[in-house]
Amino acid sequence: MNDEFARSRAVCVALTAATLGLGPAGASAQTSGPGVGGDLASVTYEQIRAGLSDPTRWLTYSGDYSGRRHSPLTQITPDNVRRLVPIWTFQTGTETRGRGFETTPLVVDGVLYVTGSNNFAWALDARTGRPFWQYRRDLPEDLTYGSSAPVNRGFGILGDRLFMVTLDAHLLALDRRTGGVLWDVELADYKVGYAATVAPLVLDGKVIVGNSGGEYTTRGFIDAYDPETGARLWRFHTIPGPGEPGSETWPDDPEILASGGGATWMTGTYDPDLDLIYWGTGNPNPDYYGDLRPGDNLYSNSLVALDAETGTLRWHYQFTPHDLHDWDSNHVPVLADLEWRGRLRQVVMLANRNGFFYVLDRVTGELLLGKPFTDTTWAREIGADGRPIVVNDGGLGCLPDQWGGTNFYPPSFDPALELFYVTARETCATYVPEAPASTPGRPNMGGVVWTDQEAGYGALRALDPRTGQRVWEFRYPTPTFAGVMTTATGLVFAGDHQGNFIAFEGATGRNLWHYQTGSRIWGPGAMTHMLDGRQHVLIPSGATLVAFALLEDGQE
Amino acid sequence: MPMTRRRWTCVLVAAALVAPASAFAQGGNPYEGDPAAIRAGRALFANRCAECHGANARGLNGPDLTVLWARPVRDERVFATIRGGVSGSVMPASSAPDQELWAIVAYLKSVSTVSAAVDAPGDAARGREMFTATCVRCHRVAGEGGTMGPDLSNIGRVRTREQLTRSIREPSASVAAGFRAVTLTLPDGGQVRGATKSEDAFSIQVVDTRGRLQGYSKADLRELVREERSLMPAFAEDRLNQAALDDLLAYLGTLR
Repeated sequence: MNDEFARSRAVCVALTAATLGLGPAGASAQTSGPGVGGDLASVTYEQIRAGLSDPTRWLTYSGDYSGRRHSPLTQITPDNVRRLVPIWTFQTGTETRGRGFETTPLVVDGVLYVTGSNNFAWALDARTGRPFWQYRRDLPEDLTYGSSAPVNRGFGILGDRLFMVTLDAHLLALDRRTGGVLWDVELADYKVGYAATVAPLVLDGKVIVGNSGGEYTTRGFIDAYDPETGARLWRFHTIPGPGEPGSETWPDDPEILASGGGATWMTGTYDPDLDLIYWGTGNPNPDYYGDLRPGDNLYSNSLVALDAETGTLRWHYQFTPHDLHDWDSNHVPVLADLEWRGRLRQVVMLANRNGFFYVLDRVTGELLLGKPFTDTTWAREIGADGRPIVVNDGGLGCLPDQWGGTNFYPPSFDPALELFYVTARETCATYVPEAPASTPGRPNMGGVVWTDQEAGYGALRALDPRTGQRVWEFRYPTPTFAGVMTTATGLVFAGDHQGNFIAFEGATGRNLWHYQTGSRIWGPGAMTHMLDGRQHVLIPSGATLVAFALLEDGQE
Repeated sequence: MPMTRRRWTCVLVAAALVAPASAFAQGGNPYEGDPAAIRAGRALFANRCAECHGANARGLNGPDLTVLWARPVRDERVFATIRGGVSGSVMPASSAPDQELWAIVAYLKSVSTVSAAVDAPGDAARGREMFTATCVRCHRVAGEGGTMGPDLSNIGRVRTREQLTRSIREPSASVAAGFRAVTLTLPDGGQVRGATKSEDAFSIQVVDTRGRLQGYSKADLRELVREERSLMPAFAEDRLNQAALDDLLAYLGTLR
């Protein structure tokens, strides 16, 4: 896999250079200034596949298909990160209630493509943060799930097109020069409770998206669309239909299956060699009340591996069978090749909302490791059969709250240090289930959760993926919703609920730098790119996007 | 003051509410006092409002809503605020059905702590003298007094006699956010005691016992000790006998 990545990187650089009519230093295109004019190179699948090999670009949610959110850039180091300063702030002018600015900007040729809350979006000059264009979708007044979490996690890009999902459950293609809509397709009926917030994952000739709204009477899906026309190529339902495989884990009732939840609201990852998509699924519906849905409720709270060509299920692993705590498994599945008990294994790793860190063989779905990374009181261990051994379903004191031991915000994996970094949440909650009304278009939680807000805290944790052991942690005063990014100099960028954007030494957890952004960092992970020879680091915070770079010589 | 020591949030979305549409044309809250609606309203509040207003509606980043009715206000006005949001603030508009907003209004009214003036023992004038001699060092009334403790200008309206009694006798039983005690040891060995106003992983902001606003970098502190006990001394029976307490309560009851 690593060799494959390296090979495709070389291809990419050659392609980029050829397209731009430049020498090997494709980055020199930047010197002519940013712009969205007609001469820009189109973004190709091969370039996305080559990941972060072109340091001026960030082309997909996690930076590359592996989901590691690990940049090869080396200008900012543990020794100089104390000289990192804000160089501009973009005020979006739109904000969520109780949620965050969760996007990861994409950057191509000095232009940032950024989605925001309430389906705003912008093309920004990456040098200054000044806008080229703004897009704002007219949203219906009777939005369902989309009104309670009006967030968006980013664009996908291919050719000269940007792809964005909407709170009324549509997928749009925008012209990246103008922000004009090229096509607009409906994913599902928002009036039932469907919405979409995910950053699309662009493959070769496909735009992959999923739905939000698992708190409503919805049935989750993962879709592939034709980037040219918007035609749907395939759909995988995360909750089976009557008689289909997996339906035996539900009551024999078509209505329950048709509203079984299993939303797919977090961007997955992709192994181009295996041609498999890895995507997480959310809670079964209703969230807290399980009496109407006895059984494991496949494929809720699972990781599914889908054949990218057809959308057929290759394998699945369910983290939380018959979930009663809203512990969606909507995470970035992180791909890596690890030396595992004497042989190299292609693995997928994730830290789950249920408080366990998992390593699976990504070819077969075989569970290699499942260990708690929080001080969870829910399960003690994962049994030989791959199922959690539950020790406390609420009767023995408090449980992790409904936001879980971590959440969707991205983790990061540093392949050189071989450490997995995740923002963990330690909380104490009591669940009180109650039979819901199950009305289409209305939330259908099925109970109440009481959380002791005094008892919680957050922590950035470094995990050894071979053992699941905690190598170090850095504690925050309250549970925290910030994602993580690492770089090739062994830096870890994270954040907290009090608004600090923070850099750590990845090997030790030593805090090296922090900057108070003025608002909590809720949902996003940082991204980084080169521009004019300077490494930029960007983080969304509150309703702003803040860009950082090292102080230049003489600026001190 | 008698805020719950532990703040609880609750998330749930409740059963659909059923009420004849005609009920809404009459004015007023069709759900006032309706136990099912109040339960549903509490759940809706927990899901949509508690993040800012606190699980018990006593306020976090947003205002304390248990004192909404402390001044004469019509239910329709509360409804309209929820519907339209507050321009220029983070309080959003809502597009939820009327029934749900009325249920939230019914819930808020049910937890309203507006306490009626009651005939109770005690001499308010004597109580005022005690307050001026002791309490005013930390508590403010009508712009006069200290800032270490909560402002008590309207306390008689928003807290019951029982709640006030508990706060005076056992102040450590529940300390409001923003008034938690902390002792910091500075690099020179000097100590600062005060109330924590704000804190993150790197810094802490306190009001010290001399009323000064002080911010410290945690990296510069030798020690940071959070105290379980309130900064307010406990006034037990031996320190404040029942008759004196009655006087003080009578005075606090006039602060409306």
